[in-house]
Amino acid sequence: MADALIERLDQTIDLILSGRDATAALADGELAPLAVLAAELRSCPSPAFKARLRANLERRTTMSIVLEKAKIREGFTTVTPYVHVRESGLVDFLTTVFGAVETSVTKTPGGVHREVRVGDSMLMIGESGTEGGLAFSPATFHVYVPDVDAAFERAIGAGGKSMEAPADRPYGERLGFVEDAFGNRWYIATHLGPSPVPQGLRTVTPFVHPRGVPSYIDFLTRAFGAVEEFRHDVQGVVMHARIRIGDGAIEMGDTQGRMEPEKTAFYLYVADCDALYAQAVSAGATPLSPPAEQWYGERVGAVQDAMGITWYIAKPA
Amino acid sequence: MAIADDYDERALIEAAQADPARFVDLYERHFHRVYAYVIRRAGNRAEAEDITSEVFERALTHLPRFEWRGVPLVAWLFRIAANALADRRQQIDRNSADPPAEVPDASESAAIERRAIVFQLVDRLPDLQRQVIAMRFVDGRSIREIAAALERSEGAVKQLQLRALENLRKSLEGRHG
Repeated sequence: MADALIERLDQTIDLILSGRDATAALADGELAPLAVLAAELRSCPSPAFKARLRANLERRTTMSIVLEKAKIREGFTTVTPYVHVRESGLVDFLTTVFGAVETSVTKTPGGVHREVRVGDSMLMIGESGTEGGLAFSPATFHVYVPDVDAAFERAIGAGGKSMEAPADRPYGERLGFVEDAFGNRWYIATHLGPSPVPQGLRTVTPFVHPRGVPSYIDFLTRAFGAVEEFRHDVQGVVMHARIRIGDGAIEMGDTQGRMEPEKTAFYLYVADCDALYAQAVSAGATPLSPPAEQWYGERVGAVQDAMGITWYIAKPA
Repeated sequence: MAIADDYDERALIEAAQADPARFVDLYERHFHRVYAYVIRRAGNRAEAEDITSEVFERALTHLPRFEWRGVPLVAWLFRIAANALADRRQQIDRNSADPPAEVPDASESAAIERRAIVFQLVDRLPDLQRQVIAMRFVDGRSIREIAAALERSEGAVKQLQLRALENLRKSLEGRHG
C-alpha cells in the first residue's frame, strides 16, 4: 500500500505541476491531504531567491551603518547630482521650468558652486567659467511635476529643445523629453497614479546611461553598497533599472550604443568617507583625490568609475 | 507560527530602527508571509520575486518612519505590497480594468498564514527532503532529473518526496492539534 501511495502521489504531483486537473486525488482519503499540500507547494519560494534577497538587504544595512548615521545636511539625501557647466544660466532654466530655489552660491577657487532645491530634491551645480578645468558632460534627470504639459511648455519657452512631446507612456507616466541649452536632458513626468510622484521617489532622480547596466550595477553594489530596486530588460538589454545608495535613488538604462554615457558627477554624504573611498577603489574605481579636509569644512575624496562618472565622497562638516 | 507576539514584534522593530543591520530579523520573520501574499496576486514567480524584493527594500527604507500603534508589521508590509502590485499593473497596462490589489481580509489572511507556515516548514525539513521539494516544486524538475542530480534512484527520490510531504502534514497537524 505504501508503494502504491508513492506512485499515486507522484502522479498527482505531475498533474498539479503541469496545470492539469488533479481533483480526483481529493476523493482518496490517504492521498488528499498530501495533494493539497503539493498544490500549495507549487507557489513555494525559491530558497536561492530568499537567500539572495537577504544578502542584498544585509549588504545594504551594513553599508547603511556607514551611510545613514551621517548627519546629512538638511534637505540633502545620500546622493546629490552634481552638474558641471561652463556658463551660468542653468539655475534660471530650473527656476522657470520647475520653480527651483537657489539655496546657496559660493565662489570657489575654480568658479562658482551653486545649490538648488527642486521640489524636495537638491542639485549641485559647478560653474567653472569658460577657462575652467572641469569638463562639461550633459546629465540626465527624471523630474516629477504636477502638470507635465505645462512644465514642458515652460521648458521649451526657456530655450529647451523638444526631444519628444509629453504623451501617456505604457509604464504609468505622462512623460516628455527636453534637452536644455547646455545639453542636459530632462525627462519631465507626471505619475499617472494617486500622486504625481510615485511612492518612494523624490521630485528629481538622476538618470544615467552606462554601457552594460548589469555590470555597472554590480560595480555600484560593491563600491557604494547600492541596492538594486528593479530591472526591466528586453532581450537582455536593460531598458530601465533603479538603484539606491543610502536613501538616494539613481535610475539607469543601457546606452545601447545610441549615446555616450553621461560623464556627470554625484556627491555622496556618508559618515565615514575614508572607508567608502577605500571600498570604491577596491571595487575598481579610479582614485582622483584621497579624502582630505576642505576649506568649507567637509572631508571629501573623489573617485571616477569606468563610465567616466565622478563620485565625490564626503563627510558633512 | 502564530501571529507575532506584540512584545517581540515591537522589540524587533525598535532594534531595526536603531540599527538597520537588525532588519534581517524582521525579514526572516515575515518573508514567507509577504511572499505567500504576493504570489497569490502576481502573474508568475519572476514577478512575485520582483515585488517581494521591492516590498522589503521599501520597508527597509521607510522603517525609520514606521510608528508602532499595535498594528502588526505584516499589515504594513501587505500595504506596501499592494501598492507595489498596483504600480506594476499600471506599468504593464495603465488602462487595465483589473481592480487594484487589496490588502487581504481576515479569511484571506488565514489562508496566507497557512501558506506561509507550509513554506517555513519546508525550510525545516531534513536536507535531502528539502532539496527534493525545491527541485520538484520550485525548479519544476522531473523525478528522473532529480534522481540524476542527487545520484539516487528514482524510487528513492519518490520516497523522499512522500516523506517530505508526510512530514509537512504531520508538522501542520501538530501546530493545529
